[in-house]
Amino acid sequence: MRSRVLTIVLGIGVAFSLVVLASRASMFHLPANHQGYEPVQPIAYSHRLHAGELQIDCKYCHFGAEKSRYAGIPPASVCMNCHQFIKAPLGAIRAEDELAAQEGRAPREVVSPELSRLYDAVKQHRPVAWTRIHSLPDFVYFDHRAHVNAGVVCQQCHGPVETMERVRQVSDLSMGWCVNCHRDANEKGIGGRRVNASINCSTCHY
Amino acid sequence: MENQYWRSLAEREQPAAQELEFDGPGNSRRDFLKAAGFVLAGTALSGCARAPVEKAIPHLDQPGGVIAGRAQFYASTCGACPAGCGLLAKVRDGRPIKLEGNPDQAISRGASCAVGQASLLGLYDSLRLKQPLAHGKPAAWEQVDREIAARLAEIRKAGGAVRYLSGTITSPTKLEMIGRFLAQFSDARHVMYDALSVSAILDAHEQTHGARILPHYRFAAADVIASFDADFLGTWISPVEFARDYASRRLPPEMSWHVQFEGRMSVTGSKADLRVKAAPDEILGRLERLAERIEANDPAGDELAARLLRARGRSLVVCGLNDLAAQVLTNHINHLLGNYGATLDIERPSLQRRGNDRALADLLAELQAGRVAALFIDGVNPAAELPAAPALDRAKLVVSFAGSVDETSQHAHYICPDHHYLESWADAEPVRGLISFTQPTIRPLNRTRAVIESLAVWVGQPASAYELIREHWKDRIDWDRALEKGCAEVNVAAQAPRWMGAKLQRRAPAAEGYTAVLYPAVGMLDGRHAGNPWLHELPDPITKTVWDNCALLSPKTAAALGVRDGDVVRIEGGVAVELPAVVQPGQHDRVIAVALGYGRKASERFANIGPRWTGSKPTVNENGRVGVNASPLLALEGGLLRYERCGVMIATTGRRIELASTQAHHTLSVPTHLAPPDGKVRPIIREITPEELGKPPEHAEHHEELWPDDHPYTGHRWGMAVDLNACTGCSACVIACQAENNTPVVGKDEMRRRRGMHWIRIDRYYSGPPDDVRVAHQPMMCQQCDHAPCETVCPTLATVHSDEGLNQQVYNRCVGTRYCANNCPYKARRFNWFNYPSNDKLANLVLNPDVTVRSRGVMEKCTFCVQRIQEAKIEAKRLGVPLKDGDIRVACEQSCPADAIVFGDLNDPNSRASRLAQDARQYRVLEELNVRPAVHYLKVIRNRNGKGGQDHG
Repeated sequence: MRSRVLTIVLGIGVAFSLVVLASRASMFHLPANHQGYEPVQPIAYSHRLHAGELQIDCKYCHFGAEKSRYAGIPPASVCMNCHQFIKAPLGAIRAEDELAAQEGRAPREVVSPELSRLYDAVKQHRPVAWTRIHSLPDFVYFDHRAHVNAGVVCQQCHGPVETMERVRQVSDLSMGWCVNCHRDANEKGIGGRRVNASINCSTCHY
Repeated sequence: MENQYWRSLAEREQPAAQELEFDGPGNSRRDFLKAAGFVLAGTALSGCARAPVEKAIPHLDQPGGVIAGRAQFYASTCGACPAGCGLLAKVRDGRPIKLEGNPDQAISRGASCAVGQASLLGLYDSLRLKQPLAHGKPAAWEQVDREIAARLAEIRKAGGAVRYLSGTITSPTKLEMIGRFLAQFSDARHVMYDALSVSAILDAHEQTHGARILPHYRFAAADVIASFDADFLGTWISPVEFARDYASRRLPPEMSWHVQFEGRMSVTGSKADLRVKAAPDEILGRLERLAERIEANDPAGDELAARLLRARGRSLVVCGLNDLAAQVLTNHINHLLGNYGATLDIERPSLQRRGNDRALADLLAELQAGRVAALFIDGVNPAAELPAAPALDRAKLVVSFAGSVDETSQHAHYICPDHHYLESWADAEPVRGLISFTQPTIRPLNRTRAVIESLAVWVGQPASAYELIREHWKDRIDWDRALEKGCAEVNVAAQAPRWMGAKLQRRAPAAEGYTAVLYPAVGMLDGRHAGNPWLHELPDPITKTVWDNCALLSPKTAAALGVRDGDVVRIEGGVAVELPAVVQPGQHDRVIAVALGYGRKASERFANIGPRWTGSKPTVNENGRVGVNASPLLALEGGLLRYERCGVMIATTGRRIELASTQAHHTLSVPTHLAPPDGKVRPIIREITPEELGKPPEHAEHHEELWPDDHPYTGHRWGMAVDLNACTGCSACVIACQAENNTPVVGKDEMRRRRGMHWIRIDRYYSGPPDDVRVAHQPMMCQQCDHAPCETVCPTLATVHSDEGLNQQVYNRCVGTRYCANNCPYKARRFNWFNYPSNDKLANLVLNPDVTVRSRGVMEKCTFCVQRIQEAKIEAKRLGVPLKDGDIRVACEQSCPADAIVFGDLNDPNSRASRLAQDARQYRVLEELNVRPAVHYLKVIRNRNGKGGQDHG
């Protein structure tokens, strides 16, 4: 009898935890699969604006991709190349100009609140701590160089970043996903060129 | 209590389950299991959460040329000893992670030694001082400067004696700064001494050449080498340079002939063509007899004299005794043979040792008499290195530049910590005219200050080390070019001092009784790195002990005393030192050899090293330290530090210490009943004489193949050639591998349990009778077999073969069955019994980010530095050029001073490795097993009757 009560109590417990988890059910992944991860960043940087609308090349900011294992997060100085001049969206500046003209005064400088965080970081010598999205386990060694120089486009792994307001992990970055692509590439080539995408364990694990 | 920690709501809501664990009426085991099952299910469901949030923090303003994830190499100079080897420091994302020899610098020529490699770890030493200390308390630099300036002003006014005590300083800028600093005082002197002194060589040259110089020895030019107790391949003066020179002449047809007279067994002795056991007190007599024969130009049946006489101007006699008479005789012999100017360069002498023991003795006497007002101590630890601690308390002001609190600096009034050499600008002149530069590879981790900057402040003209060094060399060198190369040559108007004649003294005949010989161990040298765990865990190349120094006894002596390995013996000669004994074959019967540099305060930190579990035992001894300091047995007599003490007594104490020795670990020997079908156990070490080299090589007989030949290597096929004849056993490769591949330190107790983690080991084999042994060193690592026995037994396919011939170990697949290690005939696999990586965040900065840090329960082994292979392959692809032979230099190969290890593509018939694999000396270890190892060994050449000094007229 008691055993049955226990079963019911415990069953309710598990059901409850399932209900609690249900809200996250759409995001359910096996451990270490972070597909769909879309954290809020310290500065609401828009890839849609920069890479999509303005068509800035990915490798302008992520300049390590061709030369290093890491594509790299751009240093603030790269942002400042443009943003020492561009401090707010055009619309906001125009609005201020119009307002100033109405009020018959000189327009004030407009600084976007997001960009002011960048300026604060530079002023205070405190680098921006971005939240890392694409992160592989410590026993996996991925090298951007090998892929970028073989002609793999960024979007193949990172998805349509140029359409994303906030970056999201599109691929699951699992080993099967990597190996499938390597096998395909060996069969079909990349951009019409034959490639040798190794599927040795020690290509990534050492 | 049960609610203190929970990971999920489900877990939190199971208090019933908690209660059920305890017995009560109606609670069955079944209920418990059921509850446990539900809790597990709930936990697992809610446990599928994300890994912790990781931050990616870029630079604010990235320095030019720096790209995250790309290594940069800075040319620098090793500061681990005064030899001044050129280094390339590999820097990843702002931190140095590996040191390699600089091929452009004449001392190292691309190689390095074990100590140099390990000095990297010293940078990340959490016990280094964080700021200056004033009277033992942390202080600010301004305060220390102010107080020292005030004390110095007083001393200047009173005309007090100021003494600057240092080790050998090869830096011209530093010497200039010390000169400027001392010029402020009326009675000031700079005293240099070396804990491993060769003062007698300099004194002897003062007598015979009128100049206190140390010749620059050129072993590459010598056909006949006679070494009297000089361990020039292991620890003497500049071992990397000497080993490279020596190895370059150890192949027929131009093979040199080397005779070694020594009391203990050194690595140099282990490589000699003829090794003669001679106690230190017998060496003088031998030198005298040799001198007489050379003088008479009549060998009188003496083989060495005959060879030397035939190789006039192409021979070299060196003596490692710090004894004036012996060194004068050595000079005399070299002079008679016309070696000065040929194999001994005195026009551009070595500056690697400049210590003056007589000046040291004078200073100690002054200190004792209380005549020293201010003493500055730089880079030495006299309280631990000298026979007796100096009377520091009698000096009014003692300032130490030590980086940490040691035996000496703890008595200093002020400690003004110097940078680690990897943090500082510096210059060095190891050989007259060769300037080698040190540039910082990391911003100083602590608030330390370079000594020359401190001196500049105290002179009243503060300047940065960079400014001081640039100022010193302005107009003389092309600075940018010199920094890029790491070194520069400057013209020195030099004229070799001329021979002035030798006053030969007769000395007392050989002493009776035991002689204690105090020697520097290959890993520990003078003990300045006694806080370095890598070096303590490095098996001594000869004794193979780790984490201890021992009293080495010859087999006969040990038998006479009834002593076995590990029995503590008491060595008495004025002072008494108690040490565990180790029986050392090949040692002179009257010699008791003890390594210096142990028993240091710095080793107290190892009390807690290694995994802690119920059966673990401490790494440190009863004295709380690693080993015993043998310095009290030294003597400072007649103005020379004596490293041998005659007439000592030895007695057993009845105590035992469980030593950790890797001697019998990982043995490859096959018992006869397990021998292959033909019943022949083949030797693991093979030897050959120069005469046999022309004969066709003997190959193992063809075996029937069990494996189908369906795995062709179409691209690369990585392999290695290891020249056993070149290998000196110096163990630079072991530490290089440890630094490169993040292999952990396990501590003495785990080492004792054969759980050492080194991926490459050097097996030392003896042959011949125990009192007259021959030695062979064999580097042994994973052989990357084609038919790898480990691969076939792995149930999880964690070890598999690559199409480039690598035997891959996949850590994330390994479940730790250890079947592979059991099946490995070479015993090259290592198992992580514990989670070894430490929580010392600073020390962890040394880890190579390109190699996984393995966790508990995982097998690991040599990977042929696959991270370097990958890097080189990807880089070649990026640049669109084919991979060339030599583009990939694996860590052990890179560091090897003797160039004994060659890695390469065996599919490329022109690669060096491939050509060596076809050499007449080639053989493979355990070839009869037909596992087809990719590592080819080259046989040891036994040149006992070789022609060095015989073929020329």
